[in-house]
Amino acid sequence: MSSITNSDGNIMYSHIQAVGGSKQTLPFNFNSEEEELPASCFHGNQTWRQLSSTPLQVLLHLNTWYFAAFYLAEILMFIYKGISLPYPSDNLVLDVVLLVIFLGLETLRIFYGWKGNLCERSLASCASLFILFPCAALAVYYLLLQTFVLRLEFILSAVLLCFYSLELLLGLLSISAFSRSKVY
Amino acid sequence: MSAVNSLVPARFLTIIAHLVIVITIFWSRENNIKACLPLDFTQEQYDNEDKKLVVALAVTLGLFAIELAGFFSGVSMFNCSQGLLSTGVHASASVALLFFLFEQWECDIYWWILAICSVLPAFVEILLFVAVFGLKKKPL
Repeated sequence: MSSITNSDGNIMYSHIQAVGGSKQTLPFNFNSEEEELPASCFHGNQTWRQLSSTPLQVLLHLNTWYFAAFYLAEILMFIYKGISLPYPSDNLVLDVVLLVIFLGLETLRIFYGWKGNLCERSLASCASLFILFPCAALAVYYLLLQTFVLRLEFILSAVLLCFYSLELLLGLLSISAFSRSKVY
Repeated sequence: MSAVNSLVPARFLTIIAHLVIVITIFWSRENNIKACLPLDFTQEQYDNEDKKLVVALAVTLGLFAIELAGFFSGVSMFNCSQGLLSTGVHASASVALLFFLFEQWECDIYWWILAICSVLPAFVEILLFVAVFGLKKKPL
């Protein structure tokens, strides 16, 4: 795809190679600061429609930030609990190891979900949904089953589970959208 | 616009922090109620104050619902002024409510915190809803 820019640096025309092999010329008025791509456009003999789910992307982005804050809070609370509560040392080691595993799983899940949603690929989105189940199990562990549950941990894990349920729903919808319209 | 990219998660995190503290206060409100009653209180006085505090907390949760609805529907997610106001107000509410919880302040102070830090952003949110859906303006 080649483009012609005028003296302001704005792209005036973009040549797009359509599937049929013919060169089409489209006038694009790209403001170099705000790029507004339409959600669907017609060129050549095809209609391109955006399949990536915007609500899922918003949720994944906010989930990244929320999980970072959740993890920091959990580490501080474990330091507090380890000092002030009577832990048998096996249970403390188990909880801390599960926290490390949680970090790895969540990072992987958000990465696959992000890439799968933006590139409209169902395999990556399926991997993300598959990893969501152990992550949800870990969230339930920190909500109910760990040795000492603080009220704050209960509320933070409950908010995380809300995120997971919404992402599961939107993930399933987006996978069905991606796999239904396979053009190539 | 990198300023907006960091304002959106900051606003979200301060709203969630405020929400978490409000739910914590809901759960453990006995000490705060006992703080605003005289030393020898009757059960009736306790129930009275309890009901007032529960009403205040429920109103807070309702205003949170309004603000989160506006945020997630896109009406005010990229509006810089509402984002700045919301971040500042919810952060100060979180700090004030932490003091309310740990220092066991009286119940009347909660109404002030509610008025400044919950009613104000929800009011601006409703104005933005009216502007976008009623007057058909672009949600920035």
